[in-house]
Amino acid sequence: MLNVLAETATGEMLEGLKAIGAGLGYGLAAIGPGIGIGTVVGNAISSMARQPESAGMVRTTMFLGIAFTEALALIGFVVFILLMP
Amino acid sequence: MSKRWNRLLVASLVSTISIAAFAGPAGASGESIGACVAERFEEALEHHGHSDHMTSEDIRHVAHDETVQDELEGCLEAPSPILPELNEIIWGGAAFLILFVIMVKKGFPAVKGAMDARAEKIRADLDAAEQAKTDAQAVQSDYEAQLADAKTESARIIEEARVTADQLRTDLSTQAEGSIAEMREKAAADVEAQKAQAIADLRAEVSGIALGAAERVVQSSLDADAQARLIDAYIDEVTGSND
Amino acid sequence: MNVLALDFPPITHLFEWPDILFGDTLYAVNKTVLIYLAAVVITAAIFLTAGRKKTSLVPVGVQHVAESGVNFIEESVVMETIGPEGKKYMPFLTTMFFFILFSNIFEVIPGIQFPANSRMAVPITLALIVWLIYNFVGIRSQGLGGYFKNSLFPPGVPKALYLIVTPIELVSTFVVRPFSLAIRLWANMVAGHLLLVTFAVLTAALWDATYVGAAAPFAMLVLMTGFEILVSVLQAFIFTILTAVYIGGSLHPAH
Repeated sequence: MLNVLAETATGEMLEGLKAIGAGLGYGLAAIGPGIGIGTVVGNAISSMARQPESAGMVRTTMFLGIAFTEALALIGFVVFILLMP
Repeated sequence: MSKRWNRLLVASLVSTISIAAFAGPAGASGESIGACVAERFEEALEHHGHSDHMTSEDIRHVAHDETVQDELEGCLEAPSPILPELNEIIWGGAAFLILFVIMVKKGFPAVKGAMDARAEKIRADLDAAEQAKTDAQAVQSDYEAQLADAKTESARIIEEARVTADQLRTDLSTQAEGSIAEMREKAAADVEAQKAQAIADLRAEVSGIALGAAERVVQSSLDADAQARLIDAYIDEVTGSND
Repeated sequence: MNVLALDFPPITHLFEWPDILFGDTLYAVNKTVLIYLAAVVITAAIFLTAGRKKTSLVPVGVQHVAESGVNFIEESVVMETIGPEGKKYMPFLTTMFFFILFSNIFEVIPGIQFPANSRMAVPITLALIVWLIYNFVGIRSQGLGGYFKNSLFPPGVPKALYLIVTPIELVSTFVVRPFSLAIRLWANMVAGHLLLVTFAVLTAALWDATYVGAAAPFAMLVLMTGFEILVSVLQAFIFTILTAVYIGGSLHPAH
């Protein structure tokens, strides 16, 4: 019984390490896309302010840029999901 | 009113059904890892038939069994949520395809057709309105041209009338001046004539009076004083009356 | 997972549902499947009702929903990315937009509160359909050789760089694209659902402990519910517009 419990204990520890890794990994993966999305949206807003007549086109392109940038953060999130049991 | 009640009834029915169908415990494996391990291990012990008299040796023996260990590890490895379930793929794909067929065959053309028809109708209406506007503008410019014509015409007429009036006025004034001068001359001639007449008349009168006075002087030539007095009196009388 | 007396359920418990009908077969029906079917019924009902009605000049109600959806797809998706020749893909894009939207929006419908697209099934299926479509369109419009030449050897790149560019393009266009498309939708929905569950569990736990303390997470829960409505619509839009971009890229090469 003790042996089994010991084995589960190492299993639980592995779980804990995995959880730490997953959390850190997701946090790190979110930094870059966070900055990137900020840049994309900021530039989109300034160009909309400069040329309000082309706001529709800029908004569409902005969402595309956000989608591509966000994909990186989402890959980090997927790793998080894969590591968490 | 009854329609609204019907809707309310349907809505509450649908929500009740949906809650009954959807709510409830989420996963089929609603237990923690530890509980799973304990349960599987109990099962393994039962299977090995050691449930009545367990020694630690037996337990260790069971725990080191390959199949039991695999089963216990299964507790740690729940299926990853990123892997799609086959039944959900089948249902989801079928649902999308059915919806796609419905939309392509019926829903989309109906809505889009109605929208296009309406857009076409609005465009036609706008074109008609535009046409009417151009027509009205043509008529208006026509009227404006006519009005401008009329205005220049009237200005011309007024100008003409003014010129005529000026002409008339100068004519009349010269004519009037001429007649005034003529009348003045005539009046002056009349005055002269009457003056000469009056002087002639006066002279005849005075000579008549002088003759009368001479007569009286002759009639009463008594004394010189009386004569002189009479003449003076007479002259006074004459000047007094003739003044 | 008992942290600070919070009974937070494991992630699999939040996304896997017991079978309701036909258990343990390939046609097992669970909550996710029911939501997919509900999305089909709602979309079909909206469009059939809007189409069947005698159309009024000023669209109201269901007709307005359907028409503004179609108009939105036409103005903001097709015309911005493909151009006028993309009109024939509009039924597909409209179907996809509404199907994803209604699958997502059940995330915030009380009593159901589960985004069906937080299961990988439909995102990956749709992404593979999109992959087939844009490759087919590219091969049909540019020819087999032309399509692969234009996608693998983009013009205007120095010859030496093809050593690097071609493998990257090969992987990104033909392998990563469908998966990034699927994962974007799936992960957004999973993250949103986890967020809502976190704040709901927190609210419940704090309500049990101190009634006042529950106010903060509850306010956050309400805020996040609003945010998730936005995310549901936005993800449907992004999935649709990316599909349009891929199709447009296959139609007009060298962009």
